[in-house]
Amino acid sequence: MKRDRDREKGSSSKGKNWASVEEEEQPDAGMDELLAVLGYKVKSSDMAEVAQKLEQLEMAMGTSMEDGISHLSTDTVHKNPSDLSGWVQSMLSELNSTSISSNFGMSSSENQLIVSGDGGGGSCSSIIDFSRGNEEKKTTTAISDDDLRAIPGGAVFSSGRNRNEVDEESNKRQRSSFCSSGGSNSSSGGNSLTDSARPVVLVDSQETGVRLVHTLMACAEAVQQENFNLADALVRHIGVLAVSQSGAMRKVATYFAEALARRIYKIHPQDSIESSYNDVLQMHFYETCPYLKFAHFTANQAILEAFTNCNKVHVVDFSLKQGMQWPALMQALALRPGGPPAFRLTGIGPPQPDNTDTLQQVGWKLAQLADTIGVEFEFRGFVANSLADLDASMLDIRPSETEAVAVNSVFELHRLLARQGAIEKVLDSIRQMNPKIVTLVEQEANHNAGVFIDRFNEALHYYSTMFDSLESSSSSHNGITQSPVTNQDLLMSEIYLGRQICNVVAYEGSDRVERHESLGQWRARLSSAGFDPVHLGSNAFKQASMLLALFAGGDGYRVDENDGCLMLGWHTRPLIATSAWQIAAEDDGAGEVELH
Amino acid sequence: MGSNFFINDNQDVLIEILKRLDGRSLGVCACVCKLWCGITRNDSLWEHLCFRHVSPPPEGVRTVVVALGGYRRLYMVCVRPVLNRLRKWRPIGMETDAEIVRRVYWTRHEVELSLSLFCVDYYERVLLGGGGGAAGGGGRHGGGGDTGCTSSLMFLCKAVNV
Repeated sequence: MKRDRDREKGSSSKGKNWASVEEEEQPDAGMDELLAVLGYKVKSSDMAEVAQKLEQLEMAMGTSMEDGISHLSTDTVHKNPSDLSGWVQSMLSELNSTSISSNFGMSSSENQLIVSGDGGGGSCSSIIDFSRGNEEKKTTTAISDDDLRAIPGGAVFSSGRNRNEVDEESNKRQRSSFCSSGGSNSSSGGNSLTDSARPVVLVDSQETGVRLVHTLMACAEAVQQENFNLADALVRHIGVLAVSQSGAMRKVATYFAEALARRIYKIHPQDSIESSYNDVLQMHFYETCPYLKFAHFTANQAILEAFTNCNKVHVVDFSLKQGMQWPALMQALALRPGGPPAFRLTGIGPPQPDNTDTLQQVGWKLAQLADTIGVEFEFRGFVANSLADLDASMLDIRPSETEAVAVNSVFELHRLLARQGAIEKVLDSIRQMNPKIVTLVEQEANHNAGVFIDRFNEALHYYSTMFDSLESSSSSHNGITQSPVTNQDLLMSEIYLGRQICNVVAYEGSDRVERHESLGQWRARLSSAGFDPVHLGSNAFKQASMLLALFAGGDGYRVDENDGCLMLGWHTRPLIATSAWQIAAEDDGAGEVELH
Repeated sequence: MGSNFFINDNQDVLIEILKRLDGRSLGVCACVCKLWCGITRNDSLWEHLCFRHVSPPPEGVRTVVVALGGYRRLYMVCVRPVLNRLRKWRPIGMETDAEIVRRVYWTRHEVELSLSLFCVDYYERVLLGGGGGAAGGGGRHGGGGDTGCTSSLMFLCKAVNV
């Protein structure tokens, strides 16, 4: 997760609050300058110790969060803000003398370090959240809603490795959010504070977010261990925490919490995922962010280059949907030197619940377009519940001397992994079609691990990044009001992703179709099925880079080339990958086709 | 004194002059009077504008572009935003604006990308029913409803966060 701009502003306003209170104080020699900006006097040498004490303190405070701690935020006065070390020490000695219980012992007169963020909107209390590093991992006993001691230590910074990982991630988030917020005027003081504190601890208003992540992971672990009582308590707690966040993090947390709840309560709505509804969602997703456009354009480029010098071409599309990929290809074919080939398209799609023939409608529209731009066009639609139900003979594949075949799969093949043997069958069918090129676009993540907790963690990171990118690509920073269409697009895109999240987390067995696998895994699969990789050339790369530069928030998107495949990612995290394949040469000869 | 020379009487000269203007100026010219408005709507002017710096323009482009909505629309919906965005994208040196235009404007890749996006725009607008974006995105281009862009190209209409 990242700290988004709102919380950055929160921390900046926090800095301003304290700075205005303490502005008469100057940073002394030996005192940490950056904390002094915020009004705290902490010796640099003491920093690590203070941080550790803050950790312990917060854990103690945090356990009774649901028990009406809110009065503390209104009634308490921070008596001596500058002497952070002394204050923390006094709090701890107070605490250690009373056992940690859900009735939090501290009275309202005690000093509290609760700073609210920007007044408007959701409260953003910057409660610092850390591990109770000194405590043993507790096994769960009697659980009540209020008793959050039960957050197993294992999920919450149990080992140094975890802590460092999350710290690094948090730092990456800070760094990345720092980069992406170039236009916004977040206080540099706040950011540099976290930079200097990086080797030690997080000391700013991101902590509720960190806490949220921890609770999510704790809940997933509880589900993994089938401790559903605990998981239930935690899921509700997530709900409370999520409300205090804003932006992408809240949305992600909400979707994951809902998915976890579904898993816990085993609520699986009779999910006739109306394909038309899903198509609509995907259209909005197509419009708000570049992932699908990237997929289409790079795949089209590979197909185009494979089809040079072919007079008859046939494309098999494994998921036609609205056919948004094909106008661009047809236009490119129309304008290629030497004129367009005869273009045949076979579109495959799921059956519609109301028996409308959407495939034919899409085919008809594409035919009209082809007519407009002067390309000879033929269309055939196939309705199939699963790709494994088809085989090559049904698709009217003509001999390869006369017609070149391309197979295109965008976010479709991973569904086959839900059934035993399906993917092998389909790859075999593809081989029988004898295609000149196979283009494959898939999510770059491993959401198919056998262990639930691994899947959950991977999905959490993946979709957090996705939501981040959606958030920044659609928010405007110069005050131009967004047209309602855009907000609706964003919402629909989020619902689209939310359904994927739900499927990854809450479903099992053959219902869990969103079985994303990483590029490496797909490479292995295709290689062992008898395909050789085809390098996507520099044209595809350039076009993809240009396309991304056109998107608002384009700074964050990255195109990377990975051994001939192109990956689109948000900052450092690749999110989708395009690869191209051909039938492996039987003999020693041909070698790879290098596209340029 | 020579005889009076009214530019409006010599439309071929006018057209020659207009051919050399940039897009924004053409837009301004369209607001001068009815005659000028009619002349600037002539698609060949915009074709010239689009492909002025590319020689030779790819063959067969005209039929396709005209079929998909014309050069004026191509310019408004695709070329102008692409130009603006990519100009910001590449490092701006000490060149004058005109030089930047020539340098950044039209390599083969930008042409291909613009045409592809234009085709997607046509598909969505005409065949898929516009996607609801025509009204929302039209305002920015000021050309009225016929140059509003479709939802899938809304990303070109939004302000870029630079």
